[in-house]
Amino acid sequence: MSFTTFVTDKAGLQKFYEAVMASRETYAPVEKFGKFDFKRVARLSECDPVSPIAKTLSIKPLFFPRTAKVMKYVATSAGTDVSEVDEDPLAVKRVILGAKHCDARSLQVLDKVYNWDYIDTDYQKRRENTVIISTRCDKADTHCFCTSLDYDVENLDALDVLVVNGADGKTYLEARTAKGEALLGETFTSDAVRVTKEEAAPEMKKQYDAFAASFRLKMDYKEVNAKLAKIFDTPEFENVSGNCVSCNTCAFVCPTCHCFKISDEKVKDTGVRYKSYDSCNNGYFTLMAGGHNPRPVKYRRWRQRAMHKFVYYKERFGENLCVGCGKCTISCPVNISIFEVVSQVSAAAGNRQ
Amino acid sequence: MNYTKQIQDIAAKLFAEGKIDVFVGYRMNGFDENQVPVLITDPQDVSKLVFTDKSVFNLVNYLKTDHTRRKRVGIVVKGCDSRSLNLMLTESQVKRENLYVVGICCEGVVDDAGEKMQNCTDCMVPDAVVSDEMLGTAVSGSGTLTYKKNADIVALAEKPLTERAAYFEEVFENCIRCNACRHSCPLCYCAKCCIDQETATLYNGANTTSAAFHALMTWSLHLAGRCVDCRNCEKACPSHLPLHLLHKQNESVIYENFQEHLAGVIPEDRGAFYKYSLKDPDDFIM
Ligand code: SF4
Ligand code: SF4
Ligand code: SF4
Ligand code: SF4
Ligand code: SF4
Repeated sequence: MSFTTFVTDKAGLQKFYEAVMASRETYAPVEKFGKFDFKRVARLSECDPVSPIAKTLSIKPLFFPRTAKVMKYVATSAGTDVSEVDEDPLAVKRVILGAKHCDARSLQVLDKVYNWDYIDTDYQKRRENTVIISTRCDKADTHCFCTSLDYDVENLDALDVLVVNGADGKTYLEARTAKGEALLGETFTSDAVRVTKEEAAPEMKKQYDAFAASFRLKMDYKEVNAKLAKIFDTPEFENVSGNCVSCNTCAFVCPTCHCFKISDEKVKDTGVRYKSYDSCNNGYFTLMAGGHNPRPVKYRRWRQRAMHKFVYYKERFGENLCVGCGKCTISCPVNISIFEVVSQVSAAAGNRQ
Repeated sequence: MNYTKQIQDIAAKLFAEGKIDVFVGYRMNGFDENQVPVLITDPQDVSKLVFTDKSVFNLVNYLKTDHTRRKRVGIVVKGCDSRSLNLMLTESQVKRENLYVVGICCEGVVDDAGEKMQNCTDCMVPDAVVSDEMLGTAVSGSGTLTYKKNADIVALAEKPLTERAAYFEEVFENCIRCNACRHSCPLCYCAKCCIDQETATLYNGANTTSAAFHALMTWSLHLAGRCVDCRNCEKACPSHLPLHLLHKQNESVIYENFQEHLAGVIPEDRGAFYKYSLKDPDDFIM
C-alpha cells in the first residue's frame, strides 16, 4: 500500500490539528509544574505538540496506565463476589499528538511482550483504537540516542502520521500506516497540497540529515548486546551503580519498562484491585514470601536492568528494550545514564570470549 | 565557592593514613557542567572529586546504603546536609567515630539554570554544624539569621481555600507514585516505609490521587521537625512537584509554635516531636 504525503505550512498544520481534535478524543503534552504529561485536550492552546524533549513524560501510560483497576470484589458470608471493572473507555477512538519518535517506537517494542504468552487484550484494544501523530525532532537532546539503536528512525512505521518541518520551511505530513492514511484522508482536505513521496523526499531528507548529525551520543548496539551477554559477573556493575539511590524513577518514566505490582484498596468488605508500575531497581522487587531476596544489593538490580534491556529482551524478542529516549537519565536524581552504564560495562568486558 | 583542590587533598590524605574505606563526594557528570555524587574507594580516583556551587545533592543520603554501612567514611557536607547528618547521629543511624566530616561554609548552590536555589536564599545555617574540618570562611550571621517564612507558602496562604484545595489536588494528581522523593531523602532511612507500595498496608500502591495524597501527607508528617530543606526530594521528583510547600509549611508551624525549633541545628537535639516542654502550646487541644 502506498501512502500519501501532503505539504502545507504552519497555519495548515494548526488547522489539521484542530480538525483532528474536533473529530476524536485527543491526547497531547500538557504542561504542569514545568513538566509535560500526555493529557486529554479539547483545544490546541491547552497543549504543546512540540514540547521540549527533556521535559516530556512518555505516552506509555495511555496504553499501560500507571494504575489500572483489575477487578472489584465484595466479601460476603457466602464467599467473595468478583466483578469486572468497565470504566476504561477502551473502545473510544483517540489520537495522540506530539509523541516523539522514540515514544512511538516503544510501543512496537512493548507489542512483543504484550502479544507473548499472555495476550493483554486491554493493551491491544488501546493500540488498535489509537492513531499516533509524531513530529520528527529537529535536534537531539543531551541524552538522546535513538539513532544508535535497532530501528530506523527516518522511516519509522511505529507512528501513523509523520510531521516534518522541512529544511525549506514547509511542513510535510506523511501517512505511514493505513490508520494514518485514513486520518489524513478524512481530515486533511483544504490548504494542503498532495505531493508524491519523491517530490517531498529531498527536503525531508535534508531535515533528517541535520537531525541525525546533532547527536552527542553514539553507540554500536550490536557490540553492546554481544559483550554484555558474556559478562554477567563483571565487578564493573558495582562501579556504575555506586551512586544509585534505588529511587525507582528510571523505570517509572521509561517508555519500555513494563513491570507491575498488584495492590488492593479495601473498605470493609468491598475492595478494588489495582495494577500499578513497579521497578526492578527497588530493593523489594525480588523479595520472596519466605524472606529470601536474590537481588538484595544495588549492583545486582542494576545488572538486571541493563541485561533485561540489552540482552534478555533482545534474545527473546529480537528487540532492545530501550529506545534511547534518555528519559531515565534526565529524571534520575544522580543522572545515571543507561547509555553510560552499558557502554562502560561493555568496554570493561574488553575482548573476553 | 570552589574547594576542589582542598577536598582532593583531604581525601588523598585520609586514604594514605588508612583512616577511611570510602569517600563520598561529587564528580563532574561527564556531559555538561553539572555534578553527580561519587563514592570513591580507590585512592587513585580522588582526582575525580570536585566541589563548587554545582555540588547540590545532599550526600548524607549515602549513609543509609550498604556502601557505607559499617565502613569508615569520609563525607562532604554543606550547611543543610550537616543538619541531616546531625539527625542521623541523634537517631542512631550512623556512628560518629566511623565518619570523617568535611564541613563547608556554604555560599549557596545553584540549580540547572544557574540560579541560586530558593532554599539557599532562605538558609538560616549555611555553615556546616558538624565537622572534623571546615572549608571556607564562616558565612556572616550563620545561625543567627532571621527566619524567613517561605515566599511560596505565604503567597499560597493568601489564596481562598477552594483555590488552594484545587492547587493541591493538581499536585497529587500529577504524582506518579514512584517514591523517588522518599528514597532520595537522607532522613527517610526506614528499611520499610509505610508508603512503600510493596509493603503497603496503610496505603495501596495505586497511582490514584487519593493514594498519592495519603502517601505524601504521611511522608511529609514523618519529616515534620526533621526536614532540613536540602530539596533532594524535589530535585528527584520526575513530575517536578513543589514538595517544599508541604515541608516548609510544617517547618514554619513548628518554628513559630515550638521555641523556634529548626531541625538538626543543635547536636543531640531531638526533633520537635520527640521532646516535651512545658512551654509547648496546647491551645489546639480540645
Ligand atoms: S532505558 Fe532510559 S533511554 Fe532506554 S527507553 Fe528506558 S528511559 Fe529511554
Ligand atoms: S530519542 Fe530524542 S531525538 Fe530521538 S526521537 Fe526521542 S526525543 Fe527525538
Ligand atoms: S533513577 Fe537513578 S538513582 Fe533512581 S533507581 Fe534509577 S538509576 Fe538509581
Ligand atoms: S524531605 Fe526533602 S528537603 Fe526535607 S530533608 Fe528530605 S530530601 Fe531534604
Ligand atoms: S518523587 Fe514526585 S512523582 Fe514520585 S512519588 Fe514523590 S512526589 Fe510523587
